[in-house]
This record gives sequence, structure tokens and C-alpha cells, in this order.
Amino acid sequence: MSQTILSIKNLEKTYPNGVRALKNVSFDVKQGEFLVVIGLSGSGKSTLLRCMNRLHDPTGGEIWFEGQDIAKVQGQQIRNVRKHMAMIFQHFNLIPRHSVLSNVLMGRLGYMSTLKSFFGKFSSKDRGEARKYLDLVGIGSKAHIRADQLSGGQQQRVAIARALTQEPKILLADEPVASLDPATCHTVMDYLRKVNQELGITIVCNLHFLSLVRQYATRVIALKDGELVFEGSPKDIDNAWFEKIYGEGAKEVHVN
Amino acid sequence: MTSKYVFKRTVFDSISFAYVCSILLVALLHPTEETLLEMGRNFAIFGALLVTGVGISLGLGRLKVGTLGHTIFAPSHAKNHEDTTPTFLRFSTWHLIITLLLTILVGANQTKFSFYELTDPGGFAGAIRLFKGISNPNFAIFPMAVLKIIETFFIAFMATLLAIPIAFIGSFFCAKNIMKTPVTFGIYAVLRFFLNITRSVEALIWAIIFSVWVGIGPFAGMLALWLHSVASLTKQYSEITEAVNEGPIEGIRSTGAGFLQTIWYAIVPQIILPYVAFTIDRWDINVRMATIIGLVGGGGIGTMLIKYQGQALWPEVGCIIVVIAAVVWLMDTASAHLREALK
Repeated sequence: MSQTILSIKNLEKTYPNGVRALKNVSFDVKQGEFLVVIGLSGSGKSTLLRCMNRLHDPTGGEIWFEGQDIAKVQGQQIRNVRKHMAMIFQHFNLIPRHSVLSNVLMGRLGYMSTLKSFFGKFSSKDRGEARKYLDLVGIGSKAHIRADQLSGGQQQRVAIARALTQEPKILLADEPVASLDPATCHTVMDYLRKVNQELGITIVCNLHFLSLVRQYATRVIALKDGELVFEGSPKDIDNAWFEKIYGEGAKEVHVN
Repeated sequence: MTSKYVFKRTVFDSISFAYVCSILLVALLHPTEETLLEMGRNFAIFGALLVTGVGISLGLGRLKVGTLGHTIFAPSHAKNHEDTTPTFLRFSTWHLIITLLLTILVGANQTKFSFYELTDPGGFAGAIRLFKGISNPNFAIFPMAVLKIIETFFIAFMATLLAIPIAFIGSFFCAKNIMKTPVTFGIYAVLRFFLNITRSVEALIWAIIFSVWVGIGPFAGMLALWLHSVASLTKQYSEITEAVNEGPIEGIRSTGAGFLQTIWYAIVPQIILPYVAFTIDRWDINVRMATIIGLVGGGGIGTMLIKYQGQALWPEVGCIIVVIAAVVWLMDTASAHLREALK
């Protein structure tokens, strides 16, 4: 088995309002895998991802990444963690009024001095990289169009290109296809698989639909009420597990 | 929950009872101004009436008489839906009518409302004469009025321009969604407090203060408007910043961008157009306020206006009004078109 790239130990997150979103969660992420996190809305999937790149601060436990416990690092070190752990979001989170290319270049902000970034002085190497990844997600021809004029699926591909421009080791994807229509869904998932297989970038992805999980995941973990209740191969999720994760009487919905 | 509405109802009824009784007392007893100024005793009387009102309200409540407070505050389940009394015979209807009627009478009395004064032939003739003067503008002073309105225009322009950078930077410190940590929230609270005070003091008062500080003239007027604009723009800017979409902020932070980079790339693109729109609007408001401020020594056309008005030179005043009206109308139209285009 390949080596561990990220290791989560006894992770806890309690929000200021008292909601305990993560309860003693422990698991490893292996180098080069496509790990999918499943669970109901509110089960803690998004919180888990945001704790991993420190958009949220965990309230307990450890996150080992590149020989360092990143659960408690501060300031510049958090920025370093984020540089190597890119993220894409359900609502794409692009800057609507900026061009596609400009959005992709923003993936380099973590590597730039504040002053240079204020004047938009991205190096020609950065521009080359941005172009390369835009081509990789098949959207190179739209580089100069405003981001808000693209369709949802195209915007998510721009977001993937922005993430890749960070040269990340891990790509976190929080419900990347939840606001897309079923057809576009597969296009975006296919690009994520391409990133995983061709560039060897490890992916941790939150997903709703089990049919997508079976199709794309190499390994699955499931959260229920903030607890890790399943860890294994996608084909191991039978009806009994399905009901355990999603509750009695839940029906599987297929996306095709 | 039940007790909460009973409390509100009782407070309302007791205040309205004490209010009506006080009015009747004043009307019946015709107290002198000296008596009216004896605060201690009058408060005591009002307090006693309030207590009586509480008693009456509770008593009527027990008798199931629907007071006005009951009609307003009682939740649906506490109301007597079986009541077949016609509306005009209900207690609450007369409660409302009497309170309203007395209030109107007091209002007329307080504003010294007088048909006699309004129709007095002597006064009316004076007003006609004045109006005739104004509507026959003396355009001899037109060149001077133009010079002065240019001054007013630039008082407003400089006040707005110099307010922009301070308000721009200040607005980020006054936005709740940026100042989240305890320390920064402290800064936020202090800044907000001072801005609210600055804003609640009218520009007119600031103009008086500055005209003592730097002397009467356009500089004092500009400073007064500048201070007022800083406070107003900071508030408006920060409200825009508070309403920004969090998604792009999260997106930029996730790339490893720093605090200032996040502001510059995720927040500024979202706020820049509304900022410009609000700034143009502020300039427009400032032109109108600069005219008023001139009346108290803030320079510009306002100072010219008060000079001629003091000498009762109505045709000259008319000319100035024409100039002001034209410029205000132009600014208003231009700013509306600009803001429309920026949407």
C-alpha cells in the first residue's frame, strides 16, 4: 500500500454555538488516492475539509501533514498549509467580475508578496502555468471572458484550474457537483479523476450521490453526526451500510 | 408568553390613560407656565396617573373589556372572537378615537395653528410682495452668484474627495465580517461609536465649530462637510462590505492568500461599484448641504444668500435661488444617470 500523505488523529470541532460537528475523527489519507467522504447534510463533511486546510480551527486532535501537526499552526504557516492543500467549493467561489485567467492566476497569491499581488504582477512563468491548467480542464479558449459569464460546470473547471495553479499535493473538493446538473456533474468528476490519475494529486472529495462514489472513489469514509462510521472500498457499501449511514428508509438516488 | 402580552397591554393602556388624563387636566385647570415648569411635581402627578392606569387596565382585563392595548398586543388565541358588539360600540374603538382626537387638538395648540394668521390680509400681502420680488430675479448679481455657486460646488467636491480615502480604509475596520476576533472587534466597536457621534452632530453644528477654528469662509464649510462625509461614507461603505458574498473570500483564503490579499482580491471587486455609486450620491448631497452650511458662515452661495436675505433684497434672493435650483437639479440628474449606469 502506498504511503500516508495526511493523517488525522482524534479530530474534534465544536462551534462557538455549542454544536459538536466532529467527534474524535481519525483516518489516514494515502498518497495518490481518490478518497470520498459521504454522509448526510450536517454530518460534518464540510467542517472536516475546512479543518484540514484550516479555514476552520479544530478544537482538538492532530492533523499530520508533511511531518508537521498542522492542527495548531498559526499565521504564515497556515498559509503554507493552504498553498499545498488546494480547495474547490460547491459554489465555485470565483471572483465574478474578474476574467477566467485572472481567477486562475489567483492560485499563485500564496507564493507572492502582498505588494506585487496588489499590482497584479504575476510572473510570465505563473501565466504559463495558469494557461497550461486552463487547457487541461478544456477551457483555454475562454481565458479572457468574465468568470460570471460561464456556466456552472465551466466555473467549476476554472476553480479546478485555480487549485492546480497552486501546485498542490492534495486537492480538497467540497461537494464539487452538488449545484450542477447531472450531465455536467460527470464532466467535472471526470476532470477531477484526470487530475488524480494524470497529475498524481491526492483528492479528498465530499459527495452526496452514492452512484458517483462507486464510479470515482478509490476509497470511502462515511460520517454520521460528526463520527466516522465507515471506512473501506466503495463496493463494500451494501444496503445495510447505506441505511446505517443515511438512516432507515433512505432510498438511493442514481445520477446518470 | 401570555404574561408578556399582558405586560405590553398594561403598559400601553396605562400610558394612554395617564396621557389622556394629563391633557384633560391641563385643559381644565389652565395652569400657568410656571406651574408647567415644576418638573418634580408634574412627574409625580403623571406617575400617579400611570399607576391608576395600570389598575384600570388590569381591572378592565378581568372584566374582559377589550382595551386598545389588548386589541394591539393580544395574540389571536387570547382575543374574544365571539364578540358581536358592533365596532363603533367597542371600548377599544372609543379608546382610539379619544386618544387620537386629543392628540390632534394638542398638536394644533402646540404649533399655534391659526386660520386667522393664515388669512390675515396684511400678512398675506407681505408674502405676496416677497414672492413677487423673488419671482422677478435681479440678474445684475448673476455673475457673482455663478462665482459663488462654483465655490459651493468645489466645497462639496473637496469634502467628498478628501473623505474617500479615510472612509475607504476606515470602512474595513467598521465591517463586522472582517473584524471578527476579540481584539479587532474592540477596534470596530470604538470606531463605530465615534462615527455615530460624528454623524449625529449635524454638519450645520460642525460648520459653526470650524468657522470659529479656521474663520468664516469656504474652508470652514468644506471641513464641516468633510467630517460629516467621512462618518456617513464610512458607514455606507462598511455596510456594503458587510453584505459581500463570503464564497469568494473563502476561495481566496483557501489559496494561501494573506489578509490584505484577501481583501484586495475577494472583497474589493465586489464592493467597488457600489462604493462609487454611494460616493457620487454623497457628492450630490454635499452640494445641497453646502448651500445650507453657507448660511452659518461656511462660504459659497449660502453666505451670499443670507447676506441679501438679511437686507430683504428679494429680487437678488430670487436670482440666487434660480442659480441654486439649476445646479441642484443638474447634479441630481447627473448623479442619477451615473448611478444607473454603474449598476
